[in-house]
This record gives sequence, structure tokens and C-alpha cells, in this order.
Amino acid sequence: MKVKAKLKNGVIKVKAMAKHEMSTFNMMEKKTGNREDANFITHITGTINGETVLDISTSQFLSKNPIFKFEIKGDTFKKGDKLLMNWVDRKGKTGKGKGKIK
Amino acid sequence: MERRNFLNVTLGALALAVVPASVKAEDYRATKPAVWAAHTVDDALKAMYGTTTLIEEGVSLTAPDVASNGGAIPVDFSTDLDIKSIAVYQDANPEAAVCAYTVTKYTINKYSIKIKMAKSGTITIVAEGNDGKLYAAKKTLDVALGGCEG
Repeated sequence: MKVKAKLKNGVIKVKAMAKHEMSTFNMMEKKTGNREDANFITHITGTINGETVLDISTSQFLSKNPIFKFEIKGDTFKKGDKLLMNWVDRKGKTGKGKGKIK
Repeated sequence: MERRNFLNVTLGALALAVVPASVKAEDYRATKPAVWAAHTVDDALKAMYGTTTLIEEGVSLTAPDVASNGGAIPVDFSTDLDIKSIAVYQDANPEAAVCAYTVTKYTINKYSIKIKMAKSGTITIVAEGNDGKLYAAKKTLDVALGGCEG
């Protein structure tokens, strides 16, 4: 997962991208005939210094290789802190990424 | 026997220590599985919040009027309201829910994502206020090329 975080005027702007097929039930039914082959990210979390700053439950309707932009209050964190992001998909596979706050 | 008690106490304490962290960030897929299986926005709202009454104010939503590629439709949404969760639904796909954010004390409620829509339809953003009310924004758009066919 690619994570970019920038602190400016007390706001951390984050752009994160997860590399994932995000296949839907219908897509997989057409492709393999088995709806259960569908696989997509189901949950994503972001933490800085152990504090949860992001928590998303997701479905198959996010785009392929989904991009997330979001903002975090910057007053508790400083440049150089690391934003860690983790995702887990429907099959239980996990992915992670980190970005230093610039 | 004593040893067993010790274990029980330790495990109990561990469980207690672990619980707050998981409560703070709710995994809606685990706690509310019906939301993700719901076929209509109304059913998803009922499963998620227990009501379908929406107040259409206080939330802003930006999406294109016409999406040329249904596989990646940019959706921007934000609110200044005091909320505990914000979620995205649409009525163009087999299931309604797209994603749900748990708001943390560090959150600024300004998001941008890309979603898939199989055909033209309406996107609904629902912000769950700490006052117990549901605030929403809707946007109907045309999708030129459906995004769920791969």
C-alpha cells in the first residue's frame, strides 16, 4: 500500500492507494462461474504512533486499486511521524504500507 | 487449581485490556453483516441505523454528472457536523453499501474515494450524527460504461 501524508496548517492530508483487484461477485461469476471467488478489501485501518486515525469497512464497489484521500487533525502529530495502514481482504489476506508525514 | 485461577484472572484482564481498542474502531462488516448483503439502500440503512429517515442537509457530496467509466467514479464528500460514522451507498449495484468510516477523534470529515457503479443511479452519503440523527447528501448521475463487468 502506498501512503503519502503531508502536514500543512495543522491538517494532515493523506493519499493512500492499495493494490487490489477488488473483484465483485458478478464479475467472478462471469469469469470463473463461481461467485465465491470474489475478493475485495473489507477493512482498512490507519494508525499514527499507535493511535487509530482511520477505520473503514469496505465493500466490493470500491474501484480496482482503490485510492483513499482523507484528512487528519495535525495538532497531536508532527512531521516525521509515520502513518501505518493495514488492510484485510475477503480471503483473509493482509496488506500494509507506511508513509512518513512530510 | 491455584494455577488455573491465575490463568483465568490473567486472561480476563487481557480481554478487558483488549476490548476498548476494538470498540473504538468498529468493524461494521463484523458487527453489522446485514448491511453489506442488503440489496437496496433502504434495507442497508435499516440494517445499519435501524431507520431510513434522512435529513438532507449538512453533508456535501461531489461526483460527476456523467461518469464515462463506471469502474472508477470519483466521489468526494465532507461534513462539519459532529458525527460518529459516515458511509457511502448507491442503488446501481447488486448490493447497496460501498464503505463506512468510523470517525475517530483525529478525523476531519473530508474524504475522497473512487467507486464502481454498474449503471446510472444515485449515490447517498449518510453521516450518523452524535445527536442520533442521520444527515445525508444525494447525487444522481449517469454512468456511460458500467463498472462491474470487469
